[in-house]
Order: sequence, then C-alpha cells, then structure tokens
Amino acid sequence: MDLYFWIFAVMAVAAGLFTISSWEPLSSALGLLTVFIALSALYLHLHAPLVAIFQVTIYAGAILVLIVFVLMLLVSPGERMRAIQENASYRVMGGILGLSMLGLLAAGTKGVSDLICARSLPQGFGHPSGFGDMMFREYLLHFEVVSVLLLVALIGAIYLAKKNI
Amino acid sequence: MNDWVIAIIKVVFIWVWTLLVAVVMTWVERRGAAMIQDRLGPNRAGPFGLFQPLADGIKLFTKEDIIPANANRILFILGPILFSLPAFSAYAVVPFGDKIVIAGKEIILQVSDVNVGFLYVVALGSMAVYGVIVGGWASNNKFSILGGLRSTAQLISYEVPWGLALLAAALVYGTFSLREISIAQQGTFLGFLPNWGIFRQPLGFLLFIVAAYAEANRVPFDLPEAESEIVAGYHTEYGSMRLGLYLFGEYVNLCTLSALMVTLYFGSWHLPYLNMEAFLGPISYGIASFLVFFLKVSFFLWLFVWVRWTVPRFRYDQVMGLGWKSLIPLALANLFVTALAIQLTV
Repeated sequence: MDLYFWIFAVMAVAAGLFTISSWEPLSSALGLLTVFIALSALYLHLHAPLVAIFQVTIYAGAILVLIVFVLMLLVSPGERMRAIQENASYRVMGGILGLSMLGLLAAGTKGVSDLICARSLPQGFGHPSGFGDMMFREYLLHFEVVSVLLLVALIGAIYLAKKNI
Repeated sequence: MNDWVIAIIKVVFIWVWTLLVAVVMTWVERRGAAMIQDRLGPNRAGPFGLFQPLADGIKLFTKEDIIPANANRILFILGPILFSLPAFSAYAVVPFGDKIVIAGKEIILQVSDVNVGFLYVVALGSMAVYGVIVGGWASNNKFSILGGLRSTAQLISYEVPWGLALLAAALVYGTFSLREISIAQQGTFLGFLPNWGIFRQPLGFLLFIVAAYAEANRVPFDLPEAESEIVAGYHTEYGSMRLGLYLFGEYVNLCTLSALMVTLYFGSWHLPYLNMEAFLGPISYGIASFLVFFLKVSFFLWLFVWVRWTVPRFRYDQVMGLGWKSLIPLALANLFVTALAIQLTV
C-alpha cells in the first residue's frame, strides 16, 4: 500500500469536505488551502515537482489570497454566507452540479489511470528544462491560445471594473 | 555516517543557527536603532546588553496569554504558527556554504539541492501572507482587519516584481538550483569584476531588494503594522509568546531573504579574486565558505536595520503605485532585455 499517497489523498478529501461544510468563510478558505497543499504533495509524489510548486504559488499563493481579500472586504460575511448556504435552490443546484462532476471524474479516472500505468517515465522526467522544452516546442500553439484567452479575461475585467474608459 | 544522519545534522544545525541569528537580530535592531538615533539602547543585561533578547524571551513567555472574548479561538492560535512555519521551511533549499569533506565523505552545505530550488522559496514566500490574514481576521478587531487587508494587497503586488526579478536571474544562470547558481558565480566577469550576479543583473537586484523589503513588511513598507495609523495592525490583539512568534518569524524571514540575496547576487560563498578552495584544506575550506557566506548575510541583515531607522514610511497609495506602476514594468523590461541579451550572445 502506498502510504504517502493515502495520507495526502485522505487529507485532500477531508479538507475538501471541511471546505464545503464549514460555516465560517475564512475557515473554508483555509480548508481549500489545505486541499491545494495536499494536491501539491501528490504532484511531488508523481515526480512533477514543477507542477507541485506552481500549484502552491499560483493557486494557494495568488488565487486563494485574492478570494480571502474579497472575504475581508465583505460586511459580516458570516451571515451572508449562511444565507447563501441555507438557500434551498442553491443547495439543489450545487448538489446536481457536484454529483455530475463526480460522475464525470469517475468515468474519466479509469481511462486515465490505464493510460498512466502503462507508461514508463522517460529520462529526466519532471525536470524544469524538459517541461519548458515540451511547452515551447510541442505545445506552443496551445500555450499561445491560452495566453490570448487570459488577455481577453484581463480586458474583460478592466471593462467591467471601469465604467467609462 | 549514513546520509540520513548527515541530513538530520544539517537540518538541526541550520535551524538552530537561524534561531540564534534571529535572537541576536532583536538585539542588533535595538542597539542599531539607538546608535542611529544617538542614544544608548538596552545596555543593562550582560555585556553591551547582549542578554537583552534572553530577558525579552523570559518576559514574553511568562506574560499572561490573552485571547479576546470575541476572537475566533482556533484561528487566533493558528495565526502566528502559520506565519512562522513558512519562514522556517524556506531555508531548506538555500545553501549556507560550499562543501566540507570529513573522513573522505563530501558533505554539501545545503539541506537539500532540488532542481526547482528557488521556485520553492517563491512558493513559501507566498504562503507567509496567510499568517497575517488569519491573525488579523481572527482578532475580530478593525485595526487588525485593516492590517491584514493591507498586507494581502501589498504581498500580492510585490510578489510579481519579486518573482520576475528572480526569473531574470534564472535566465542568466540557466538553472533553478541555488547551488548551481552559487557555483556559477566563481571567477571574474569582463576580466576585472568579480563574477557576481549583481554585475549581470544590476536592475534585477534593485527590484529584488525593494520587493524583498515589501515582502518582509519592513520599513518603508511596514504599512500592515503602521503604528501611527492602525495601532499595530494584524497583531494588535496579540500578546505574550504569540506576539513573540510573529516578531520572531519576521527575523527568520529577514535571514532567508538576506541569504537569498547573497546567493543570487553577491557570489554566495566566493571571495572576489580569490579561490579559497585552492589553498585551504577540505575541512577548513568548508568552515571558511560558511563564514564568508554568513559575513555577507550579516551585512544584508544590518542593511534591513539601517534602512528601517533611516527611511520614513510610505503612504499606502504610494506603496501600491510603486509596486504596479514602476516595479512591475521595470521587472518586465529587465526580463525582456535579459532574454534578448542571452538570445543574442548564445
């Protein structure tokens, strides 16, 4: 049995459950932080240190910090959060969405695990330079498309934030 | 000796060493402040007041531990821990010397030389903000929340130029491993300068040091705890050893940041124009490289104190303006020029 995997997998799932069940918004955010850290530990286990580091830097270090920033600006976020959590239609919608995602994941997992287990790791797998080579040689188009997508999001955010440009 | 024992000795050594430096730094800060302001500072406990940190420690430990009635107890306790934990773990990838050969076994003076080296430092640096946010939020106090808010915005803004300056350095050396970067800084650059990062990345260093001061919440960027505006910011409600942990974590942070500056921009353990390895024995070389490295680190630690008591605090909009309007464009330009220079010369 792979003890390392189980420790962090259980940690991630437990923290995820805590995130969606906690009444305190900041506790929820810290639960999400734990999920991100547990996931990055799992990436390390999969010989992908670069992905693990990015997981922590970008998700935990930037995105979640922004979410927390918004939480701190809300007036009595606890009560608002409670109102949202107790709203029946939100609950039903969230449930349906969550269950369908779970189904999708379960369907995908089998295929992906077959694919990964059949492969042996190439020399120097997970090294940053190999990662860069792959991204800027084989997947350059994808990279550029994503960067344009991000630019669109950026312009959209500015448009939404500033009424008269 | 097997590798596990060596690894544990290294971890314990660097941990105790950093703690010791942090303790001495509290004394240096107070005496340095006194020197700059032309007064004496603490000089009663022991010679030159050297036992003052000890006395402070005893005071903090024996004080009553107060948790405000309306604070969130768990998060209140968690705050200082979240703050000091990343500070302590970041040192794991920073070297503190070259290598020492004992009984034919070569020991690298670094806890772990990983190939994503300083990305790890960046990742942990971005974690430190949670200690401040959680502490500020859990205190249930307006000043604390304001301090937490300011700290969040400031850290997010300055992480970008910080990371970009680091990236430019990584481009120059072609590696993320801090040990390889250190080794690459031996010899001379352009024939007469020591081959240090600062001569290859002068703008990069400037950006890095400004952003580092902001990341460490030091003057002139100590807006999160600006006592003239918001009492003590995120640690207004903290007392006893919990406050001690916050203050201590800050000094450990300074230690890591100074070590990082030395590693990336000031030739790590190399002396200019002098190859110590050529004429020193294997053990004395190890010790000498550690001492040279630490000498440089202590200069930057002193610089933190020096700046703190010399430069006045910024206004908050100035901090944000400097971050987004000057540092980030400069960092991007620096990255672009560096990449262009490498492309043209290689």
